Amino acid sequence: MTEARRLPPGEKTSLYLGYLRLTDSAPVIMARELGLYAKYDLDVVLQREVSWANLRDKLVTGVLDAGQMLAPLPLATALGLGGLRADVVTGLALSLNGNAIALNPALSVAIRELGGDAESSARSTAEALGRHLRAGSDSEQLTLATAHSFSCHTFLLQMWLRAGGIDPQRDVRIIVLPPEQMVDSLARGSIDGFCVGEPWSSIAVQHGVGAVQATGYQIWNNGIEKVLGVLASWHQRFPATHLRLRLALMEACAWLADPANRDETAAVLALPEYLDTPEAYLTPSLTGRFVYSKGREPVEMPHFHVFGRFQAGFPWRSHGDWLLQQTGALVGKTLPAERVKSLVQQTYRTDLYREAARYLHLPSPSGDYKPRNRHATVWEYEPGIELGPDLSLLP
Amino acid sequence: MIKDTNHPQALRLILVDDDRARASAVEVNLTQAGFTVLSVIPTGSGLLYQMAQQEPDVVIIALDSPDRDVLESLAIVSSHNARPVVMFSESGDQSFIADAIGAGVTAYQAEDISPRRVRAAIDVAIAQFSAFSSIRQELDQTRRQLSERKDVEKAKGLLMEVHRVTEEAAFSTLRKLAMDKNKTLGEAARDVVAILEKTSHRGTRHD
Repeated sequence: MTEARRLPPGEKTSLYLGYLRLTDSAPVIMARELGLYAKYDLDVVLQREVSWANLRDKLVTGVLDAGQMLAPLPLATALGLGGLRADVVTGLALSLNGNAIALNPALSVAIRELGGDAESSARSTAEALGRHLRAGSDSEQLTLATAHSFSCHTFLLQMWLRAGGIDPQRDVRIIVLPPEQMVDSLARGSIDGFCVGEPWSSIAVQHGVGAVQATGYQIWNNGIEKVLGVLASWHQRFPATHLRLRLALMEACAWLADPANRDETAAVLALPEYLDTPEAYLTPSLTGRFVYSKGREPVEMPHFHVFGRFQAGFPWRSHGDWLLQQTGALVGKTLPAERVKSLVQQTYRTDLYREAARYLHLPSPSGDYKPRNRHATVWEYEPGIELGPDLSLLP
Repeated sequence: MIKDTNHPQALRLILVDDDRARASAVEVNLTQAGFTVLSVIPTGSGLLYQMAQQEPDVVIIALDSPDRDVLESLAIVSSHNARPVVMFSESGDQSFIADAIGAGVTAYQAEDISPRRVRAAIDVAIAQFSAFSSIRQELDQTRRQLSERKDVEKAKGLLMEVHRVTEEAAFSTLRKLAMDKNKTLGEAARDVVAILEKTSHRGTRHD
């Protein structure tokens, strides 16, 4: 409580925080269960939303104070892509990785026969799918789904396809489906595969309707996934409340960094008031003992979700730049480099992260940018700042 | 090109709502207001297919439908998407959007339709959604009150039976319990029922 006492009092103590029904909602949920919001004198009501569009609009119209957002969403919202336009800022990333690509059983068999082995390499499955498509035995174009246009799901799926020599625009059809509809749609054959956050791939695997061909981590090691978003105007009105909220969530993320806490997390997330789903769907990715297809032994993937390690909370502007370039490319626009830089600087607020880290006596990176696709193992950014691998399938 | 003339054709709409009663009320009112409702569809029934087949001018969608992200994906121009859709926002009228969000509904329109013509359709939807949400609140409240009353009656009956007291005495015991424990009468009643039922079950077993 000493930390809380030295903090400026919050301008607002009752908050509504929006999240979606996903395994990597763990930080916002565990912060409540661990009493961390209360520790910072915040009374936080968690609101489960059914779409990212709802979460954004409720943020924009003030129904929500803050929300767990897909990392590209604050940038897409600033550009007004698809829906309401508003300036959103983030001073905290909530998770890295957490996604997977799953394909239907027939395609999975074809990939294996052509030398693809997801458990050892995501490139091998992409290349095998490429060979399968070029052989032209499928009469129809493949339809693959992601959960949102401007999401890491889309960008990871595109990267994986390109790594296999597949043009994501011409060679396949990529559509958007709500996560809840993915498994059903795959089972019914209305889509051939998807890239989505957990638990949806594990559900497909456990029901035998899909097999994982690549995890998000394999496509891009430790890529940013979810962030805490608030309106820029909200931050200006309630800076101390925003700080307290970030501190509560940073403590939750630090708690989640301990593998010993992941089983308990799965049990809590499974509750009706949160994800309302069997615990068995949540444990493979949360405990890092991930199952790629039904009947296979679990594979050790300790970094399937990263919440606290590797400076996970730091909203790297280099990540923001990359996400914004991908977003621009998706809508057929090349954004000028200065525009990308300034929009990311306004949105990805590394200064806010550093402010919070000081209160927790934690070190934080002194720079805002880091290289991508350079390190295969854990490395030191500067003394005391340990970062994870950052390889990706394509530069 | 904006397809807006002095005698515009009726706007063609798709309505996405899982609440059948509400959807049909909105449909009736939209039709009366001169709009053509092409289809009323629940979540997860192939919205993308419907969009491609029917090419509506406007889609009105309930906020509790997860299909909103699907609709927004149609804002991206691609070979699969000939007619881009944009969220109805009528040049950023924030209070109007807040009204729609508050009522639990929003709308998307084809890019080539004038927002002026769409506004009336959304007004109809907002009015119907608001009406339904206040009816639902009233219903919820009535239901809560009814079940509270049932719990109180049951607790009173048990207290009268077990403690052999009058109805009046049982009720005042219940009230005192609620006040002492800072609970509602209903909550206190449920506690009493839980405790007394356990005791009387134990009693039966020993008898």
